Amino acid sequence: MLSWEYPPRVIGGISPHIYFLSKSLAKQDVKVYVITCDFPGAPAHEVIDGVEVYRVDSYKNPSPDFATWVYLMNMNMQRETAALTRKIADKIDVFHAHDWLVANAGIGLKHIFRKPLLVTMHSTEMGRRDGLHTLTERMIHETEAWLTYEAWKVICCSDYMISHVKYAFGLPNDKLVMVPNGVNVHCYDSNQDLKAFRSKFALPEEKIVLFVGRLVYEKGIHVLINSVPKILSNANAKFIIVGSGYMKEQLLNIVRSMGLEHKVLFQGFMDEESLQKLQRIADVSVVPSLFEPFGIVALEAMAAQSPVVASDTGGLSEIIEHGVTGVKVYPNNPDSLAWGITKVLLDDTFAKQLKTNAYRRVQERYDWEKIAQQTTHIYEGVLGEYSKSFWA
Amino acid sequence: MRTVIFSWEYPPRVVGQLALYVKSLTTQLSSKQVDVNVVTYDDSATGKTQEPTGVQTYRVSNPVRTHIGVLTWVLTLNQEIERVAANIYYENNKQIDIIDVFDWHFIPAAVTLKNALGIPFIYSVESLEDHRSPTANSSYNMAIKSIEWLGFFEAKGVSVKSEWMKEEVIRIYKVPKEKITVISTEPNSWIQEVLKLYNSVAEVKGNEA
Repeated sequence: MLSWEYPPRVIGGISPHIYFLSKSLAKQDVKVYVITCDFPGAPAHEVIDGVEVYRVDSYKNPSPDFATWVYLMNMNMQRETAALTRKIADKIDVFHAHDWLVANAGIGLKHIFRKPLLVTMHSTEMGRRDGLHTLTERMIHETEAWLTYEAWKVICCSDYMISHVKYAFGLPNDKLVMVPNGVNVHCYDSNQDLKAFRSKFALPEEKIVLFVGRLVYEKGIHVLINSVPKILSNANAKFIIVGSGYMKEQLLNIVRSMGLEHKVLFQGFMDEESLQKLQRIADVSVVPSLFEPFGIVALEAMAAQSPVVASDTGGLSEIIEHGVTGVKVYPNNPDSLAWGITKVLLDDTFAKQLKTNAYRRVQERYDWEKIAQQTTHIYEGVLGEYSKSFWA
Repeated sequence: MRTVIFSWEYPPRVVGQLALYVKSLTTQLSSKQVDVNVVTYDDSATGKTQEPTGVQTYRVSNPVRTHIGVLTWVLTLNQEIERVAANIYYENNKQIDIIDVFDWHFIPAAVTLKNALGIPFIYSVESLEDHRSPTANSSYNMAIKSIEWLGFFEAKGVSVKSEWMKEEVIRIYKVPKEKITVISTEPNSWIQEVLKLYNSVAEVKGNEA
C-alpha cells in the first residue's frame, strides 16, 4: 500500500483512511506493507496493529515546487520499495496506490514486478481546482489519467466520485468500483456519564444543535445561522459551532445583530476526545453544505447516535435516506433547514427512530471491517483475473 | 552477454554528440556478439535513420504530455523506461547482464531496476551538472546533482572518457577511484576496453549488484 501520508504524518484525509483500512485488512489476514513518507521522530520501520509500516526518505533537499517534489519523492519511494519487495517478492500480490502523489512509484513497481496495480482516487485535480487552469494543474491531471489508465481497478468513495472520475478520465464502467469511506464506530462506544460535560455547553432544558466543519461558504454555515430565529420560535435550543474559517467574523456579526449571542456558541477548534463527546450528546447534527464530495461528518454523527439533518447534495445525498436515517433538506435554504431541525427537535420518537436506523446503517455499510472485506473482495477478484493473464 | 543501454538521445534524435557516440557503441558491441538493447526517448521519430544490425531499439514517449520543467518530464519518462526494460527482462528468461546508463536522465530507472531485480549498472558519464551550470545552485540544479550522486552511489562501475573527468568525478562526488574506468578514445582498442568493463561488472549479480 503506497501513500504519501500515514500517522503521525497527517496532511489530509488519506492518512486516517490508510490507517483504518490497513489495520482492518490486517485483521482479515491480509498482510499489509504500508510504504509512506518519513516524519520527524517516527521510526523508519515499525509494526502498528499488525501492519508493517515503512517510512522512506521523502527527498528533503529544497525542491523547485510541490509537484516536482512529488516526482522526486516518488523516485526515492520507488527505490526503497523495490529493495523491500525484492526481499519479500513472493509475498506481494498487489500494489495499492492512493492518489497521484504516489503514481510514479506505483506504475513503475507494477511493471518491474509484474503485479497488478490498484488505485484509490480520493480526489481529482479537476475537482480540487474546479477546472484546469495552469500547466501544473494540467500535468497533475494527466498524471492522474495515466495512473487510472495503468490501474487494474479504480476505487472511489461515493457514486458521485465514480461519475466524476469517469468523466474526468474517460474510464470504462467495469474499471470503477465504489467502496465508501468508513467511520470508526468504536470511538463513540462509551458508557461514561456526560451530564457534567453537557452542562458546560447548555442548560438542561435546552436541546443541542451541533455543526462541525470549516466556517467557509461551501459548508453552508451561514444557512444554519440564518435559520436560527425560525427554529427558536418553536423550540428551545443551543447552537454549538465547532471549527474555524474565514467567515467567522461575519457570522459573529450576524448573530450579534440578531441578539442571539446567548444561543449560538462558537467553539473554534476542539480536541478529538471532546468533539466525540459533543457529537454523542448533540440532539441534532447539522450538515448544511452547499458542495460535499463525501460528507464524513454526517457519518460521524450517525456513528455517535446523533440524528442528522443534511442538505441534499453530493455525497450527502447518498449517505442519508430521507426520513429513515436522517432528514434531507434543500441546499442553501434556511426555511427548509429550519423545518428539518425543528421537526427532529420536537418529535422525540422520530429522532430516536432516525438515530437507531442511522447507527444500524453505519454498521452495515460504513464500518471499516466491512470496507476492508469489500477491499479484500476486490483484491481477490483482481488476482483471479490476473492469474489468467500472461504475467502470472 | 545481454546489455540494455539507456540514453536520452539516440538517432534520429540527436541533441548533442552523445547520440552518435551511443550509436557507434551499439554497432561495435553488436559485432562482438553482445545482445544489445537500446532504450531511448523519441516522441515523433523525425528523420530517417539506419538502425545498426542486430541492435534492438525501443523508443518510448512520455505518458504525461504537459510539463512544468525538464525534471518533471524526465522523472515521469523514467517509468516508461522501467516498463520497457522490465519487458526485455521477462522476455529473455529474466536475464539482463548489465545496464549501461548515459548521464543522469535515466539514473532513477537504473537504480530501481538494480534494487528490484538485482541487475548491476554502469554509469557512463558524458558531462556533469557542475560543469554544465557551474555557478547555479538553485533547487533545480541541486535535484539534478542529487540524481547524479545517487547514480555514482548505486552504480557498480563508472565509465568516463578522460583522466580529467575521472579526477572531476572524484573531486565533486568523492567516488572511490577503483570504481571509475577511463575508456580511451583509441579507435582500435576502445571497444575492447568497454567489453572488459562490461564483463567485470556482469560478474556480480543479485544482492551483490
